[in-house]
Amino acid sequence: MRVGRRLLELARERRARAIFVVGTGKNVGKTTALFAIYEAACSSGLRVGLASIGPKPRLWLHPNTVFITARSLLPPSPAVEILSISGLESSSGSLLYARTAHGGLYDLAGPSSASGLRAAVEEISACSDVVLIDGAIDRVSTLASSNGAIVVSCGAAAAKTESEAVCDVANLTARLLVPAFDPHAAVLELEGALTATMAADFIAAREDRQIVVGDSTQIVMNGRSLAEALARLRIRCRRAFEVIATTVCAVAPDRSFDPATFLGAVADATKLPSFDVFAGKEVA
Amino acid sequence: MKALDLLDGASAGLLGFEWLVNAVAPVSPYGARLFSELVPFRPGSEAAAESRARRVAEIADGLHPDRVAAARSLLQQLPDIVGVIARASLGEMLDDPAFLELRQFCEMLERVDASLAASALVQPIANEATRVVSEALAPGRNEAQGFYLADAFDAELAAARAAYARAQAELNAARGRENESVARELGRDEIAGNEFIVMRSELRGALPAGVRVVREAATYLFCALEYGESSRSALERREASFSRVAALEERVRLSLSTVVREHAAGLGAAAGALGDLDVTIGAVHFSQGHRCTAPVVSGEPALTFERARFLPLEAELTVAGRRYVPIDLDLRGAAVLTGPNMGGKSLALQTCGFLALCTAFGLPAPAARARVGLFDQIAWLGTGLQERTGGLLSSFARELMGLQEILARSAPRLLIFVDEFARTTTPHEGKALVVALTERLRQRNACALVATHLQGVAAAAGVAHFAVRGLKGIRTPPAARNLHEALEALAASMDYTIANVGDDDVPDADAIALAELLGLDSEFVKAAYRALSQ
Repeated sequence: MRVGRRLLELARERRARAIFVVGTGKNVGKTTALFAIYEAACSSGLRVGLASIGPKPRLWLHPNTVFITARSLLPPSPAVEILSISGLESSSGSLLYARTAHGGLYDLAGPSSASGLRAAVEEISACSDVVLIDGAIDRVSTLASSNGAIVVSCGAAAAKTESEAVCDVANLTARLLVPAFDPHAAVLELEGALTATMAADFIAAREDRQIVVGDSTQIVMNGRSLAEALARLRIRCRRAFEVIATTVCAVAPDRSFDPATFLGAVADATKLPSFDVFAGKEVA
Repeated sequence: MKALDLLDGASAGLLGFEWLVNAVAPVSPYGARLFSELVPFRPGSEAAAESRARRVAEIADGLHPDRVAAARSLLQQLPDIVGVIARASLGEMLDDPAFLELRQFCEMLERVDASLAASALVQPIANEATRVVSEALAPGRNEAQGFYLADAFDAELAAARAAYARAQAELNAARGRENESVARELGRDEIAGNEFIVMRSELRGALPAGVRVVREAATYLFCALEYGESSRSALERREASFSRVAALEERVRLSLSTVVREHAAGLGAAAGALGDLDVTIGAVHFSQGHRCTAPVVSGEPALTFERARFLPLEAELTVAGRRYVPIDLDLRGAAVLTGPNMGGKSLALQTCGFLALCTAFGLPAPAARARVGLFDQIAWLGTGLQERTGGLLSSFARELMGLQEILARSAPRLLIFVDEFARTTTPHEGKALVVALTERLRQRNACALVATHLQGVAAAAGVAHFAVRGLKGIRTPPAARNLHEALEALAASMDYTIANVGDDDVPDADAIALAELLGLDSEFVKAAYRALSQ
């Protein structure tokens, strides 16, 4: 609860009404982080909304939680209040908005498209104080026009070594933290993505204007290319994201890292408050 | 709407069939199902076609367009309950989303009826069944206009749910105590979740009771918190109370499903009537939006109208800020239409076809007055078609093949539009072919309009001769700076009136004047006039 409370506080300090939890890969503790925030939000008396991309494993939800799910996944009991049947579709079928009347186990399911997710978040926001989204990095642009914050999860499941895991999360957060452009300075606006090849060309041409993309999901590069591009070019976004923290999961089915050193290394590399939900630790 | 064999695809495109389909399309799934099965009225069904068109026109006259728009907006929001009715009829237990859809359907029917109540010609859709089902589901309405299987549905539900909530609270408390106890023994503030990490460096002595090691690593233990005795018994009580709630909720659903099943026929009738209404309101919306009137549907192969418009072009011109000039025509049997270039001959043919299509589907027609027959086949031959096709045949060969197909079908009542047939061969032979075709159409008692620049066709074929009056003496065109201005000047100078000229004089084509108007250089134009005078 403490870690969940801290993450919620960080989001509330920035007046975020939506918290998007994304990960560097699968099984990196995204849902665990989201659920820690959910528990903290419910115990604070907030009206909480939940959304997800695609189907999610069954979760125990408290009364008065608004969520989106597939019609086919709705359990018969405990009965929920059906708020409306959406026009959105998911891999599990048509989606609806519901509010729990009693605690129970429920499946979440959400639209797979960014526009569908945006519509779902808007709908849920209308009857919630905070919306928590179990997301995917390629759908994070949903937040670009809203008042939202991002938590980045990383873990042993998505990398062979600790240093690779740290490098991955550092790259991802560096990309997500690209600032908004300065409208008073010279800009070179890109309509589409900024790729490594384009960045190399700009570096060779000694481009010193702000290179502006829609949002940081349109910066399509990683590793050394990304580090070099960020260091040598003034890459900016029309819509910047608010990344508030990282979470780590040192345990994976076929490997594990030392929780304390992993957490410290992630905090050091990202310069963000970092949390281990399983160990109940924080490195600010 | 299905054209079936009334007209082929290419003719449908030229006559605006798809445009018409979109313009009259209904908005609900009920209407869409019915609409997809609509077929044209055939000769012999004149009374039915006229009756439908008249009913649509009368509703359009009697209802304010805002009311029609409101009804269409409601119809658009209606959930599709046909599947739900079928499931209930088979004795299936319905789920809560189905109850929500049923309740919304029943309630919205009342609103649709209210919005159309001003017209005596529109029968209410809501019936006894929809009222009973709506009433049965009313306790499920929540503040969000959604649906909840509320306590009010069953006298025992509230108590069972309260017991479930108490049991869950007891379980939470028992689990919380176990959690706190383990956290205290580990010297931590809390244990977050059922699975957690204990660092070996922080562990003083053995793990607390109830903690199971899931996985061991060099520096930490990955643990799970087991259920203790008190939380296990609380869990059992919670499960028992949950089962009771689940049983009662199922009982409510069964009871509501029975009500739906018992009224399935009435609900189905309402759904069917709703489809009919939606299709009618779609036609009313079309009629109001385009100032249509109900045609007199004639038993003759004839088309007589005043101030008729070809709506697809009118819509295009409106967007471009240009004026559309309606036309009058009295076409009985076969006739020839001559006139200048850009004088609207092709458009006159399209207007006739569009009115014939509206009439065939029992729709009001875009004209101040119209008397139109029903046909077995509506066909187009000549200009316009070849741009839509391709292939190995020359344009002349394609025209002849098209003609052969039309004649071979021998539709008892044919409406055919011929636009500059045989223009790609020599004028002499071309005229012979057009005369032969016109004669054949007259002999077949077809209703036909044959547009041509060739002289003497009407007299040779023994049919009526109509002509577009053409440019009003324009010989010195205004200095147009661009195409838009040139077209404006042309429209202002053109008399689009179609007159029955009786004799066989073909008016000037005004081709050279039009060439000048459209910006061809003066030397070229002078040369053309010189050649014409020789």
